[in-house]
Amino acid sequence: MSKLKLASYWAAACGGCDVAILDINEKIVDVANVADIVFWPIAVDFKYSDVEAYADGYIDVCLFHGAIRNSEGEHIAKLLRQKSKVMVAFGSCAVAGGIPGLANFKRREDIFERVYIESNSTQNPERVFPQTKFAVPEGELELPEFYKDVKCLADVVDVDYFMPGCPPTADQIWAVVQVIASGALPPKGAFVGCSNKTMCDECKRVKTEKKVKKFYRPYEIMIDSEKCLLEQGLTCMGPVTRAGCGNQCTSANLPCRGCYGPVDGVIDQGAKYISALASIVDADTPEEADRIISQIVDPAGTFYRYGLPGSLLRRAK
Amino acid sequence: MKRITIDPITRLEGHGRIEIFLDDAGAVQNCYFQIPELRGFEKFCEGRPAEEVPQIVSRICGV
Ligand code: SF4
Ligand code: SF4
Repeated sequence: MSKLKLASYWAAACGGCDVAILDINEKIVDVANVADIVFWPIAVDFKYSDVEAYADGYIDVCLFHGAIRNSEGEHIAKLLRQKSKVMVAFGSCAVAGGIPGLANFKRREDIFERVYIESNSTQNPERVFPQTKFAVPEGELELPEFYKDVKCLADVVDVDYFMPGCPPTADQIWAVVQVIASGALPPKGAFVGCSNKTMCDECKRVKTEKKVKKFYRPYEIMIDSEKCLLEQGLTCMGPVTRAGCGNQCTSANLPCRGCYGPVDGVIDQGAKYISALASIVDADTPEEADRIISQIVDPAGTFYRYGLPGSLLRRAK
Repeated sequence: MKRITIDPITRLEGHGRIEIFLDDAGAVQNCYFQIPELRGFEKFCEGRPAEEVPQIVSRICGV
């Protein structure tokens, strides 16, 4: 069997997905045995021009990380889609927007103002902002257009598989690589490297009746490391989050923030969580329920922490 | 004038491009380093609870 041709790219990402791939440690040698890397900016020196020169479909599998923040991200996504047989949205940013997707709570003008004018380390009295085209004495320079909204990979290209997680765990990555190498591909559109159970299904914390009278911020209470965090009044998103990470945050006494996204069939993780909360708030009157819910700080930014662009809301007005 | 474009810069976290302009003798006339990516953490961290910020800003760079 000829070796698989593998590409990996980051658009608006942090590089954590790339490092997660490297975290499979010595198994990376096994990957090298079954696959040739033909594009992977963090690790190997291929240029966009190399990818442009490949025949269509030359790349067997492209692991695409990062959200689509600007025209370059969209352009490279389309280029890699054309050159790849299988396109995987890899990591929460590519799947649903991820942390960079929090920018959809803000307006583009306000982001520019903050970054290029107001930031403490910036002096920009002439109010210079990035230009898509800029004339210099030697010629013209170009920068990508910063879009109004952050998008998911599937908003700009056809995606074959989705692998959620911020980042996906090394074990799951290895399992998926093995499946791909075996050729036994799952049905198109499948979520891979994760489960279709919820985080709560796999959580070892002691669960009793979920009834919450008061929501707390983590520093306001001594967290019991055995008991369900939600039952202690912390906004753990376990009930609406796909399992697969091995309960990393809850094992460290931190509430889950939902990075694996919702399980199959749920379109809007945040809305689902609001309805989950409604059923556990222990209130006798609607006013009391309002009072309890209003104790949650930054509900939108918490319930849509990793998935605003991929949600029904997509952005704040 | 000849132009050499290095795109992308590789083996680092983030996005970068270098444009080099050479004169007719092949000497470097000028060189521009560009960063095409912006995410805007400076802005979208505003409004997030302080205790959540360490987990958010750890995604500035995951390398
Ligand atoms: S709500 Fe959180 S802490 Fe409670 S069982 Fe679910 S995942 Fe575990
Ligand atoms: S516990 Fe939740 S937020 Fe933390 S890694 Fe797992 S899915 Fe992501």
